[in-house]
Amino acid sequence: MISLTSYLIISFCLFIAGMTVMIARKNIIAMLLGIELILNAAAINFVAYTRFVNQNLDGHVMSLFIIVIAAAEAAVGLAIVIRFFQIKETIHIDDATELQS
Amino acid sequence: MFLKIMFILAATMTLGGAFLTAYTKNLMHACVYLLVSLFGVAGLYATLGADFLAATQLVVYAGGVVILMLFAIMLTGGIQNFVNKFGLDKVPSMGNGKTYTIAGLSMIITAFIIMKVLAPIFKTNVQGELPAFASTVEEIGVLLVTDHVLAFEISSILLLGALVGAAVISRPRRGK
Repeated sequence: MISLTSYLIISFCLFIAGMTVMIARKNIIAMLLGIELILNAAAINFVAYTRFVNQNLDGHVMSLFIIVIAAAEAAVGLAIVIRFFQIKETIHIDDATELQS
Repeated sequence: MFLKIMFILAATMTLGGAFLTAYTKNLMHACVYLLVSLFGVAGLYATLGADFLAATQLVVYAGGVVILMLFAIMLTGGIQNFVNKFGLDKVPSMGNGKTYTIAGLSMIITAFIIMKVLAPIFKTNVQGELPAFASTVEEIGVLLVTDHVLAFEISSILLLGALVGAAVISRPRRGK
């Protein structure tokens, strides 16, 4: 029951949920939540392959870097969102049209 | 047996939290469901024998990222106008039926393609004795300063840049 396939399927469903969030939501913070889900799906894959296939800990180190990068991305992304809110008083993604011609 | 119960519990938390994040209408609730999902991922790491990674996941995500997101939601919530600058109706910020239909359709297509491409990978059955759980902290520490030392240093510079960048970007500008 606890096999590589079950972990891969969990990670796949997590990725699907994250992509659904990123497509369906129009709120920038909600889209950042989707990015967190997708990054976690990738990290689960690394750890599952480490456990079931090659047993050296490079996958764990890679997951650790994924966590670090997710934290940095969340900090900068939320700073941009707060700055955007100070300027436009909204966080709707369709209002971010400054660079459209 | 205990491992199996833990696995089912963690998988339920992960998937339930993820899909509630995708379908709840309240942004604050979505953030709390994301917290549930991240706890579930930490449980999955624990069932895979990655003790250090499970602890790091709990500390960084539950203690850092989700709290940061809750603060950002509370700082930016409230104002919501339902028409855009052309006077047309705007899609509500948490999505409506149309955006969910688009997302669902494209996800079905993506799932189909991924299943087609990855079918041999899903079928790989790795047999053989799994090693017993052992502490991974020491080995990860050694790996971080020997094999992966360049990535380690680069990630420290990345964190410094993120810190300074976040402070500079979100600072209110004066005299303008």
